[in-house]
Amino acid sequence: MKKVLATIYLIIAFFIVYFLQANFFSWFTIGGIKPNLFIIFVLFIGLFAGRKMGTIFGLILGLYLDLLLGRTIGISGVLLAIIGMLGEYLDKNFSKESRFTIMLMVVICTVIYELGGYLFNIVRLGIPLEIFSFMKILFVEIIYNILIIVIIYPIIRKLGYALENVFKTKNILTRYF
Amino acid sequence: MYKNKKTGIVGIIITIIFLILLVVATNTDVSKVSYIENIVNNLVMPIQNGLTYLKNKIAGNDSFFESIEVLQSENEELKKKNSELEQTLREFEVVKAENDTLKEYLNLKNKYQNYSTIPAYIINRDITNYSNTVIINVGSEDGIQENMTVIADEGLVGHVISVTAHTAKVQTIIDTATAVTSKISTTNDTIIVQGTLEDSTALKATYIPTDASVLQGDSVETSGIGGIYPKGIHIGTIREVINTNNITDRYAIVETAVNFRKLDTVLVILNNETK
Repeated sequence: MKKVLATIYLIIAFFIVYFLQANFFSWFTIGGIKPNLFIIFVLFIGLFAGRKMGTIFGLILGLYLDLLLGRTIGISGVLLAIIGMLGEYLDKNFSKESRFTIMLMVVICTVIYELGGYLFNIVRLGIPLEIFSFMKILFVEIIYNILIIVIIYPIIRKLGYALENVFKTKNILTRYF
Repeated sequence: MYKNKKTGIVGIIITIIFLILLVVATNTDVSKVSYIENIVNNLVMPIQNGLTYLKNKIAGNDSFFESIEVLQSENEELKKKNSELEQTLREFEVVKAENDTLKEYLNLKNKYQNYSTIPAYIINRDITNYSNTVIINVGSEDGIQENMTVIADEGLVGHVISVTAHTAKVQTIIDTATAVTSKISTTNDTIIVQGTLEDSTALKATYIPTDASVLQGDSVETSGIGGIYPKGIHIGTIREVINTNNITDRYAIVETAVNFRKLDTVLVILNNETK
């Protein structure tokens, strides 16, 4: 029951993130460059709710975004699913206690997502390669995502551990104790 | 990372302030920061005035010395006139804004009266930094189909790439995946214009014929080749021609006629053939 409730909360949170990205952050840009809240959101799910939830949420949310605004269907789904999957791997290897490691995780995920999407579009849509412009946009986007992490880290931690308690409860075999 | 809660909150506040300053600084038009210009002026101008006064005095410019009382009365009169003019100007601006909005709707319809069109509003813009698609509030139930051309008062916007019952997704001409076969209106030379990541207000014009003379300010419009865009829709003007060692590689930067950042109202051409 708790899991169902938590999943509903996550779906509501996705829509809040979507409206923030589509409205507020379309206007509140650094030199016209927007952050990517979806990367932070899916990484958050992968880190605290586990690989399964991260992958499923990443895939569904990515497909939803592709259907809504994308030029091709599927690539955002696949890339966000990879980020969701990466969440648990990063959780096992790095500490979530530190703001710095979360920032580092966001940097890695932003590079994977944007580079993957850009390369796919080059191959699939035949868009010309503009390496310097792409790097410039990516750099500003990473900085923006890092600043957002610095600001919302206390919320991430608080909500994250609440989510972890729901999805990652360890099944202790009491009879052996 | 932070030693205590208080330091953490201070850090967050500093980051928020830094982010706001960064966003404001990177998005503010230099012409709009006249107050900063005023401060800078106030720092230098009194001294500059004094120096000019001295210079005039030395040069024997006696016209500067007029009765202070005459100047004061003149000043009062001018101030009064100025406030009256400002009042009139404000009224005029209100009327002008109303007029502009009405004109925009009227122009859109009149300018493209040869085409059967349907007006639409942009209800959603792209959420990523690497593509430029928009969602408009008309769909298949309004007669919208894929590959229909979308225009604005100033010129070409893009084409419809997918349709739902009440909305349509439009790939704009500034999207990097869009390439439009167009022509330079003065010479009729055919070129290809394509969106770039570098600049969302300009397009890159390539495949310029070697014997074509492309000049800054030349108008670019759709050629009608390709089957999506009808012939003769204004795209923009040539901002700069970049010459390379190999003349076949030269390209031009085309400034789009449409300001995509402020674009709200569009028209979808329902039939590519004129009525």
